Amino acid sequence: MTNRHAQDIDPIRLEVMKNAFDAIADEMALMLMRAAYSPIVRDSMDYSTAICDANGQTLAQGVTTPMHLGSFYDAMQYLITTFENDIHPGDTFIANDPYAAAGQHLPDIYIIEPIFHDDVLVGWTTTLAHHADVGGIVPGSNAMGAVEIYQEGLRLPFLKLVERGKPNEAIWSIIRLNVRIPEMVEGDLRAQMAASHAGRRSFLDLVERYGIDDVLACAEELHNYAERLGRAEIRDLPKGTYRFTDHLDGLGETPETITIQLAVTIHEETISVDFEGTSPQVAGGLNTPLPFTKASVYTALRSIMQSEIPNCHGFERVVEVTAPKGTLVNSVHPAPCGARGITGYRTIDAMFGALAQAVPDRVTADGMGGSTIPTFSGVHEGKAFVFSETAMGTWGATSAHDGQVGVPHMGANQANVPIEMIEANYPLRIRQYGIAPDTGGAGKFRGGNAFIREYEYIGETDGLFSLRSDKRKHLPHGLFGGENGTAPVNLLITEQGEQELPVMVTNPHVIRKGDVFRHISPSGGGFGPAEERDPSLIEADMEAGLITSDAR
Amino acid sequence: MTGSLRIAADIGGTFTDVAMIRGNETIATRKVASTPDDYARGVAEGILELIEVEELKPSDVGEVMHACTVATNAILEAKGARTALVTTEGFRDVLEMRRIRVPRLYDPLYEKPPALSPRKWRFEVTERLDWQGQIITPLDEQSVERVIEQIRAAKVDAVAVCLLHSYANPAHEVRIGEMLKAALPNIFVSLSVDILPELREYERTSTTVINSYVGPPVKRYLDSLRARLANAGLPERFFMMHSAGGIIDSRTVIRKPAQIVECGPAAGVIGARAIVTEAGFPDAIAFDMGGTTAKASLIVNGELLRADDYEVGGGISLSSKLAKGGGYALKLPVIDISEVGAGGGSIVWRDRAGALKVGPHSAGAAPGPACYDAGGTEPTVTDANMVLGYLNPVALAGGAVTVNPQPSQDALNRVVAEPLGISLDEAAFGVHELVSTIMTRAVKSVTTFRGHDPRDFAMIAFGGNGGVHSVSLARSLQVPTVIVPPAAGVLSALGLLYADIETSASGSLLAPLEGVDATRVLASYGALIDQTANELGLPRSSLKFVQEIDLRYKGQAFELTLPLPAGSQFTESDTEQLVNIFHDEHQRAYGYRLKDTPVEIVTLRVTARVPRTETGMASYEGTGKAREMTTRMVYFGPQWGRLETPIMERAALTAKAQSGPLIIEEYEGTTIVPPDCKVHIDQTGNIIIALPRQVRLTQSAEAAE
Repeated sequence: MTNRHAQDIDPIRLEVMKNAFDAIADEMALMLMRAAYSPIVRDSMDYSTAICDANGQTLAQGVTTPMHLGSFYDAMQYLITTFENDIHPGDTFIANDPYAAAGQHLPDIYIIEPIFHDDVLVGWTTTLAHHADVGGIVPGSNAMGAVEIYQEGLRLPFLKLVERGKPNEAIWSIIRLNVRIPEMVEGDLRAQMAASHAGRRSFLDLVERYGIDDVLACAEELHNYAERLGRAEIRDLPKGTYRFTDHLDGLGETPETITIQLAVTIHEETISVDFEGTSPQVAGGLNTPLPFTKASVYTALRSIMQSEIPNCHGFERVVEVTAPKGTLVNSVHPAPCGARGITGYRTIDAMFGALAQAVPDRVTADGMGGSTIPTFSGVHEGKAFVFSETAMGTWGATSAHDGQVGVPHMGANQANVPIEMIEANYPLRIRQYGIAPDTGGAGKFRGGNAFIREYEYIGETDGLFSLRSDKRKHLPHGLFGGENGTAPVNLLITEQGEQELPVMVTNPHVIRKGDVFRHISPSGGGFGPAEERDPSLIEADMEAGLITSDAR
Repeated sequence: MTGSLRIAADIGGTFTDVAMIRGNETIATRKVASTPDDYARGVAEGILELIEVEELKPSDVGEVMHACTVATNAILEAKGARTALVTTEGFRDVLEMRRIRVPRLYDPLYEKPPALSPRKWRFEVTERLDWQGQIITPLDEQSVERVIEQIRAAKVDAVAVCLLHSYANPAHEVRIGEMLKAALPNIFVSLSVDILPELREYERTSTTVINSYVGPPVKRYLDSLRARLANAGLPERFFMMHSAGGIIDSRTVIRKPAQIVECGPAAGVIGARAIVTEAGFPDAIAFDMGGTTAKASLIVNGELLRADDYEVGGGISLSSKLAKGGGYALKLPVIDISEVGAGGGSIVWRDRAGALKVGPHSAGAAPGPACYDAGGTEPTVTDANMVLGYLNPVALAGGAVTVNPQPSQDALNRVVAEPLGISLDEAAFGVHELVSTIMTRAVKSVTTFRGHDPRDFAMIAFGGNGGVHSVSLARSLQVPTVIVPPAAGVLSALGLLYADIETSASGSLLAPLEGVDATRVLASYGALIDQTANELGLPRSSLKFVQEIDLRYKGQAFELTLPLPAGSQFTESDTEQLVNIFHDEHQRAYGYRLKDTPVEIVTLRVTARVPRTETGMASYEGTGKAREMTTRMVYFGPQWGRLETPIMERAALTAKAQSGPLIIEEYEGTTIVPPDCKVHIDQTGNIIIALPRQVRLTQSAEAAE
């Protein structure tokens, strides 16, 4: 197909093309955000965009959600294998199923477009967005209590949403009928289509300028380059096997601890990660198919590397991930996975726990463990509504500074939803949003403080409330003598009084007007012994009200 | 009685540029060193110098126009006022929590920029409104009094007040403002309802805090400048540019000092707009390349593009529109300018896998590029241009800086050519091309990222390196024409002379467009018109008002700003027309429309402008006789290799197009015309370069649309 080969590409042309690929992925991400509807896409930015080569290997990714990135490859392989010889100009593909399409979890819907040049498939534009609802037993479709995937909502294998330019209305009808908020889902899907369309056009502009041979050869060489960079980084890491065990508190009213156990082995120029010892898959939405586990591992490893490694597939060649089938991190059909994000976060946390032993200056102590997701649903102004957001975040301390507050998890660069937007659109009032004093694990450098977010339901008719959080039993760990962070608080305050909710609610609660959900996040772990802390930092914390006199 | 002369001064990091238009409509300019201890001194001195050179008297000056970096520097150098924040109970930390996102992925060691109002000076008062402005908890004035005592004890210089949902009902903020002013008359106070009465609490709080933070330093500066101008016998009343490119009376700046944070870059774009409009290219990309950064912005049909998601001091990021969170959100009208860290001084290096990189580190003015022979050993973009023969091998800036090509060659050989096993020429040309690609991201972020096709635009190049890189940048974006104006190095100062007196105001009005209460909308527009007229302090009859409206599909988070059709009274047919315009514009920007989704109003905007009477540009005064033409061997890429290339002055160009290769050298900078381009000069002295025509999108791609 190509007359030029990767080895013919000089570093200058490669860098030129890398910048061009990045610009396309960013352009797609910006367009998707601006055209989207749901708070979780447009405000939280829980979505990803990428351009891939003809083999479905990612070439560039928009600056959004790292955990999505590494999973694209397996979905693309599934698509390419399924539709071999039946991929045409003007096609648009849709899918979401973890088992029938190597998807992530049902709310994450892929919209994928092939790019053709002179009738030859030369690449793909890929978008993935978290939709506010895809049906199933709970509004928001992130049921912790589902015991099999059939309960989690609409399952789509790879289908042609558009075939040779002709929209497949049947699929639209099925989607509209199966989701609680069809207008919002359709709006977000159209935003994804607009973004992939724009990406395809820009890619073809690039082909126009440099010629197809050069573009394809550069794409191939970009993977080689990322691999070389990865190998160069790994050569400098201390060799050995580093083990770590982390936990999820568990599901429902009587949670049973779930274990993630991993061993990171740093070889001469490659790294292998094995999950032997991890708990079996569970009867609840926490299971993760292997592609997502791999993506979480890549995210953690990429974070300790110092070079600007391109966000492309080549980097993944230096990492091998293995996990026993049927475990939490390599689940098999029909294990539910609606709330699998938290397992991905914990996988990244466990990776950092292991890597702290190898490169203590390049990691933080443990943080809040990814987003807390409250989900409110009901009827507002005569229409069904679902509101959920990814509330983040706090980091552990590092060897050089205190833990940061008001930051995302390393796995997902997502934003908060403006309070004024929430109150204008939903029957909710936010009563408090800010930093919780007297939190954060003590240490030479203190863990980041917890944050408080308090919601009051003000709907006239009863609604439903569900919650995903973690780290009450298994606190964010400190490092090298630093103390652990503090546990989360999840209070449901009603006329009947206060009720501490389970960290992972499996049966949604009925809520009435005036009911309040008060969340205090976990806080970050400290770094180094507390007695080594600079007294002036303690004084500054007291002045800022981060340490109250009650606590001293 | 003062004279009628208009004179402009623009402060840059190193130089303060002064420009004026002479009686015979020609341009006079002067560069003097900036005076960081008190920038006002340099401004006054520069103006007096130019007047003296031109044999004029201070009393001949009628108007002084000005742009400065005082507000920006206060933020970038963390030297603003000690600033307190007063906010709604429960929301003290909105400012510090920000929007959570960080500007970089994969960086566990990232540290957030500290809040401009630290937590110890952030105070809560008891009150609460809902999103429609209805009072849920009345303002507890005792809680305000307690906070006032805490503010007094903290000895701050400035206070920002931002309450939840105040955009929908200003009463509580206004009352707190009254109480603060009565109790603490010497403290600078900003209310969010005066600064940015718009939805989204973090952005509104941050903008209001910035306003308070820069208020005291800006006031000190303006007072100093006013005194110095008066002492020099110059007019005490002067005008300043704001970030959206309009000119306002300096006395009104202090009501909203945050509006001048980006006035310097804005002035350059205003200058560019004046030139391209006169030259007959109303659609143009303004490209400004200096020593450390390159900036791009867009002029569409003679109008500037504004940004709605701006951050101050975010650092230079290759994808600034997405990589947010590194700076301070400032949501005031600003010209949409995107920036990348690539300039003449940017250092060329190779990473550990051998890839070639340019910037963001810069050799700066000292030691400067290797060719300055002042101790710089790392190759820079300027060194690559030196090796290629694009720059004069003896001296730059009309002889002001002597140079030596040998260190350039040595540095590029060592870092690029030898390790990659390529020739020195190939290495230097590779660097030149790579810089262009990096800069395309700046251009893309104001064009394709916003739904504009760069091929529909001309490019106007300015700044010290604009003319050296503009053609290769234009080529990579398929831009057909490049314009290099005279005095390209002081275009910002010139821009001040060409700007309109204008100001704008906006207000949130969240309502469905169809069936909207026309009286309410018209009353809101009326209030905004009053506000802008008051800010300009000019009779309404002398002003022209432009009304705009932000619309979106119900449920979308982002709006499109559309001009309000003339005479719209929001009748049923008016709103129907607006809905259709919105559908069309959405289709253009995002490629689809949602016919059945309701359209809603988010924000109303009004700009008040003093129509300019004289629109003509200063005419170009050639030096008469061109210097004797020389030639040198210049490398134009593997296709042409080294070619003997004529080196000439601008004055030697004619209205008749000449073919490249050509190089135009002047005090302001160098302009490169490659062999396959044609160049001529127009009647106002602009160099116009025509690139060879390129074929647009392929057939197969069009078919798949």
